[in-house]
Amino acid sequence: MTIRSGFSAQTLSVLASLCDQPSQWRHGYALAKRTGLKSGTLYPILIRLADRGLVEACWQDEPLPGRPRRHLYRLTADGLATANAALVAAPRPAGRPGPRSARTSHGVVTQAATQ
Amino acid sequence: MIAGSRAGAAIRRGLMRLVPAGRRDWVEAVWAETLEVPPGPRRVAWRGGATWVFARESLGRRWLGSAALFAAGGALVAWAAWPSAPRGFAASVDRADVITLLLLLAGLPLLAGRIFGPVGDSRIARFLRVGAYAAILALIPAKNVVEQILDVPPRGGTELRLYRLISGPGFGDDWAGEALFLMVMALYAAAILWMTAQRSRVAPATLAAGTSVGIAVGALLYAVAPLGLSNAGTNPWLPGSDVDPLVLLAWIMLLFAPPSIGAVAYRRYAAAAGPRAADAARQIVAAGVLTNLISALFVIVTGTGTIAAMLKAAWLRSWLYQGHPLAGVGGLRLLVRGDPAALAYSHQITAAVDTPPFLIVCVVFPLLAFALTGLGALIARGNAAAGPVDPSRGNGAPLAPEAVPDPPGR
Repeated sequence: MTIRSGFSAQTLSVLASLCDQPSQWRHGYALAKRTGLKSGTLYPILIRLADRGLVEACWQDEPLPGRPRRHLYRLTADGLATANAALVAAPRPAGRPGPRSARTSHGVVTQAATQ
Repeated sequence: MIAGSRAGAAIRRGLMRLVPAGRRDWVEAVWAETLEVPPGPRRVAWRGGATWVFARESLGRRWLGSAALFAAGGALVAWAAWPSAPRGFAASVDRADVITLLLLLAGLPLLAGRIFGPVGDSRIARFLRVGAYAAILALIPAKNVVEQILDVPPRGGTELRLYRLISGPGFGDDWAGEALFLMVMALYAAAILWMTAQRSRVAPATLAAGTSVGIAVGALLYAVAPLGLSNAGTNPWLPGSDVDPLVLLAWIMLLFAPPSIGAVAYRRYAAAAGPRAADAARQIVAAGVLTNLISALFVIVTGTGTIAAMLKAAWLRSWLYQGHPLAGVGGLRLLVRGDPAALAYSHQITAAVDTPPFLIVCVVFPLLAFALTGLGALIARGNAAAGPVDPSRGNGAPLAPEAVPDPPGR
């Protein structure tokens, strides 16, 4: 489903997760767990957001022994502003918890982040 | 175990080369997370998603969409065209046609991508590829329906005599004809793939002109003679001799459309890019050949489709043959007199015999256009080399000034 902001519900859920403590870097699997998205859905969304300059990515500096380096993600300044605007504008579908409620359940502080 | 993991890593490194350099991080990122996922179905699902991300990033979303569309179309065609007869020449030919043509159509774009580059960045290029593929795919079941009549002689009686009388020698066990058909269709697909590829440098305006005129000429040829080069069939919507002037018009169009549309394409291109542009003369040949290629494809698909439908629908057969015995074939009247089943079979086999000439049309039309426009292209190149030419009008849309580079890693 596409919301008025131009983002799909899945993309909004990713944005909502990244909005929670926006300065913190996140792993793909952590995002997948929070949003409930499969890897085949989550990563194309992250790629699209990175292409649009809304998400920045980097490799982990010091991986755990015996583990490969992990890719980390967080919102850029533009991404944070866009995400907040999109989450505010997103309507809540009847009978289903929408991105707005997902945001509140994760304790996202949009006002503080945008100021 | 270690050797296995090393081999797996080597394979993954090899596969990663298929991914454009700027996208490899993303594909590696999904795989790197796999060990974080608990073992079991969730890890398998994660790997499935990682494979999808790899396919998406290495092949491109548009490529995957095209592949899915072709797979759906191919499956539908295989289902519709697969012969029900367990054995026999016709069944073998039909199975070979389905398998070979689907493999050819699937493989050619991969080969064309390597040699000619990706599809041109215009709607007409993509439309042309999809349309040509759809036409060739639609031809397979229609052709197989016809061959179930044409290549299966009746066991005896009046029908066998009619079969021998109407089809004559040369039908049945004609593997050479089947090979020619497959070769012609492969060449058609290759020609369309080349013309619509970036490196061919055929302008979108040239493609649009050739396609639209080709469809118009094909529609005219079909309207004049829905059964192709048949002498026995009649045209219910243009009865009697009223059709003769239109036949003349169709021949005129066939001969004059390619050079005319080639000249138009050249003028439009030269007006925008200059007559000395390396690709200006190429537009003449491309537009002309495309015109006749599209018209021939239109004619073979609609004509064979009509004949296939006639074989299944008695009312259509009666309409196109107007319920009359086929007086043009000697001795036929006596055989079918008072025998409706024999009359129906005589119409079926007569219609089926009309399909092979469509292949001649497919061979002759583009060659004719190539000969007619090749001369024009040579003249245009000669003029461009001799001195400036000032095309007085035109608003063609040439491609970018120089070769469009391929996307990285493709």
